[in-house]
Amino acid sequence: MILLKGGTIFDGKNILQGTADVLIEEGRVSKIAPSIEKEGVTEIDVSGRIICPGFIDIHVHFRDPGFEWREDIQSGSRAAAAGGYSTVVVMPNTDPPVDNAPMIEYVNSKGAMTAGARVLPSGCVSRERKGELMAELGKMAKAGAVFFTDDGSPLANTNLMRTALLYTRDMGVKIMEHPEDSYLTAKGQVNEGLASSLSGLKGMPASAEYIDIAKGIALCRETGSPIHFTHVSTRMAMEAISSAKNEGLPVTCDVTAHHLSLDENHVMVSKFNSVYKVNPPLRSQDDVKALWKHLSQGVVDAIITDHAPWHEDEKDVPFQESPFGIASLECSVAVVFDTWIKLGKPVDLSMLLSLFTRCPAQLLPDPWKKELGRLEEGCIADITVLDLDESRTVDLAKWKSKARNCPWGGELLSGWTTLTMVEGRIVDSGVESYV
Amino acid sequence: MNWRHKCLLDLDDWTREELSLFLEQANYMEELLNRPIKKVPALRGKMIVNFFFEPSTRTRVSFELAEKMLSADVVNWSASGSSVSKGETLRDTAWTLESMGADAVVMRHGAVGAADYLARKLRKASVFNAGDGTHGHPTQALLDLHSAWKKLGSLEGAKMVIVGDVLHSRVARSDIKAFSKMGVKIVLSGPATLMPRDITCLGAEYEPDPKVAVKDSHMVYLLRIQQERQRQGLIPSLDEYHVRYGATEDLLKFARPDALVMHPGPINRRVEIASEIADGNQSIILDQVRSGVAVRMALLYLCVGGGK
Amino acid sequence: MACGIRSISRKEGVLLIYIEKAHIMNEEDMKRVLRRIAIEIIERNRGLEDVVLLGIQRRGVYLAGRLKELLKDIEGVKVPTGELDITLYRDDIPTLLEQPVVHSTSIPVDIAGKKLILVDDVLYTGRTIRAALDALMDLGRPDNVQLVILVDRGHRELPIQADYVGKVIPTSRNEMVEVFMRELDGKDQVVITEESEVQVD
Repeated sequence: MILLKGGTIFDGKNILQGTADVLIEEGRVSKIAPSIEKEGVTEIDVSGRIICPGFIDIHVHFRDPGFEWREDIQSGSRAAAAGGYSTVVVMPNTDPPVDNAPMIEYVNSKGAMTAGARVLPSGCVSRERKGELMAELGKMAKAGAVFFTDDGSPLANTNLMRTALLYTRDMGVKIMEHPEDSYLTAKGQVNEGLASSLSGLKGMPASAEYIDIAKGIALCRETGSPIHFTHVSTRMAMEAISSAKNEGLPVTCDVTAHHLSLDENHVMVSKFNSVYKVNPPLRSQDDVKALWKHLSQGVVDAIITDHAPWHEDEKDVPFQESPFGIASLECSVAVVFDTWIKLGKPVDLSMLLSLFTRCPAQLLPDPWKKELGRLEEGCIADITVLDLDESRTVDLAKWKSKARNCPWGGELLSGWTTLTMVEGRIVDSGVESYV
Repeated sequence: MNWRHKCLLDLDDWTREELSLFLEQANYMEELLNRPIKKVPALRGKMIVNFFFEPSTRTRVSFELAEKMLSADVVNWSASGSSVSKGETLRDTAWTLESMGADAVVMRHGAVGAADYLARKLRKASVFNAGDGTHGHPTQALLDLHSAWKKLGSLEGAKMVIVGDVLHSRVARSDIKAFSKMGVKIVLSGPATLMPRDITCLGAEYEPDPKVAVKDSHMVYLLRIQQERQRQGLIPSLDEYHVRYGATEDLLKFARPDALVMHPGPINRRVEIASEIADGNQSIILDQVRSGVAVRMALLYLCVGGGK
Repeated sequence: MACGIRSISRKEGVLLIYIEKAHIMNEEDMKRVLRRIAIEIIERNRGLEDVVLLGIQRRGVYLAGRLKELLKDIEGVKVPTGELDITLYRDDIPTLLEQPVVHSTSIPVDIAGKKLILVDDVLYTGRTIRAALDALMDLGRPDNVQLVILVDRGHRELPIQADYVGKVIPTSRNEMVEVFMRELDGKDQVVITEESEVQVD
């Protein structure tokens, strides 16, 4: 039994008045009250901090199976817990790809043995992730897939996208599209604009993202099936999603912590440090502004990491030879809150918190949709405690993740999680003695 | 004024004063080239590695000549047939070079930022960027600056037009930096398919019609057109390019009558430049080559020479 | 002008005291010395035929210029005068903190068969003159090379002697001989200075 004492409660939607104690028994929240006294419990003082539903990241890469030297489900899950996440959704672009029910079960069973965050699998839309024929989506849904996505690549075959949307319409599991027009981004390295012009590197235009999203919206309108666009990075794309939502279409989207906090200037100022090489590329300052604007208007449904771990040997090469990806699970929450503070808090705190909790939970199928992302008596005890005043330097040497390809190493950030709990079990804590 | 640079990766952090001092130093080096005995002992005992991942004749030969004039020990290392073709990474190669005691590495590499990367990996040795992908070719910019400065004197207020494939040109990017620091106004011209998306951030203007662009210009700089651009479909044909954008007498009559014609070489006759222009009296293409050796001598001397 | 402390500066807990210890030459002294040297040059070379003056950058250049004027006054002959930069021939570059910049070398005539008179301000270790001789040999084959020095302060590290000496000044190694010239420094003067460090807490 654990008793969290004297925190501010965020219930998934609102920040409640005053402080409260939260009692956790047998993996569930048994009582929330202004003051709880109980014998024989582990008391943790969380005064000055916010007790939230466990944070959810619906887009991470754990490279397992096939590339375990970069990350595996165990190390990734512990990294997620250290970063304040109690649930993560792993992408299926592994080797072999997760494109069938036994592979979903592999992820589930390996995830169940981890000591960190809960690991939920997603499955490929297409067989062998080749973008041609539909995979056994129904079997994978039954086995526990929470999204279908060919992430890493878009569904370039429009007919496949349409068929998959129709087929999954009533399945409760959404298609997650990685929006990119590969013709326009072929050989692309950086954002088309300032970075491409100054460097001569092939640019990836904003239109490449927009065109795929426009395609997805048209198919969504026609089929009535929900579609989720992941790591949306440009103003153009955000505006398209915003108007589709206004139209009432079942369109959702997420943005990454790095696109909210970094722009293409970082590539130039760092003199082409490959740590800033990511797809979609770091965009213009105007795009970053647009992401925050739409986030504040409720267009965004989740903040993700797109945690993309690479081994140091693979990433420590000249920019142009480097693979794409930023690993950020262990600092992304601080990155977002630090940026939010520096920008003068352009969004309500409760809205920002909901993008880590209730909103991403709503994107998941049942039972997660009902169980996760809320904090009330009787709910599952997935809890994240956030301290907005906590300032800490990102110390990559202490990371649980195997990866070090993180742009914030050595940087002092404010707004860290100090406790992560999954089903009443503390999986990570800023203070070692609690674990 | 004291010299503070150990490497030349790009010209971003060079000030106008440094460029001016540098041009003067290059002049003194050029004096040496007129002597019967051209070699001086300034870099005796220094080991310089010329490390070329991409084929290059003039830049490599020019660097090698400069190194030899200064009495450095020169090692030429090309990527083909070396450890690199066996899969060695640039990081390991860098450390190998340093362990061998290289005092400086001159590198041409196909990847943008490769020189910056190498400089981050080397603790002691100087790094000179002899071209990194499409990004920069700073010694080319210095030699262009030197040859134009010698002809025009002050460059303040002069106008330079760069015609051609700016999108893929490391020469254009470095030249824009160098010339605009010296007060030159830069106008780019060429087909829109060969222009970067954001020209203003480069500090230049764009004029699609070369005849309009060259008006009142003191320098007309032609960029090399790679045949690959035709294969990529960025221009319909080399001949159409020549007709629309090539440096011909017809185009040059719109520029100042004494405008200098420049080209980084090697030239494609009847593509970006007509023979009568390349070989005509406004052309300073061969002066550029000569400046190349002097400029690289000055660079190596100032950056590698001493300064514990 | 009195001698004494010229400046005091503080650097990392150490006081750097810069003292002018002695004034060796003033404007008049320098004039007289150069006149005497000019006459010696004429005497030794039996006139000025084939004589070329070559000032070592930077103060040697101005000294050579003044000798040229004096020789013209005395003999009515315009002696070809050039300037020589020895930077690229120095042997101490790797030990210097700052990279010395190069100055101009220009000699108006072919030096082959000429009597070349090198001019410099201070003769100390002899290494500058060694570098100058190396530089000269790369430029041609003079008949002979002679050396004019304004101040010889001793402490030679190489077997080099001046043919014409303005003044011999015994010094210690931690002293410096500073030559000021009107063209560069606004005054003609030779001063011995010393910099001493005083530890302070």
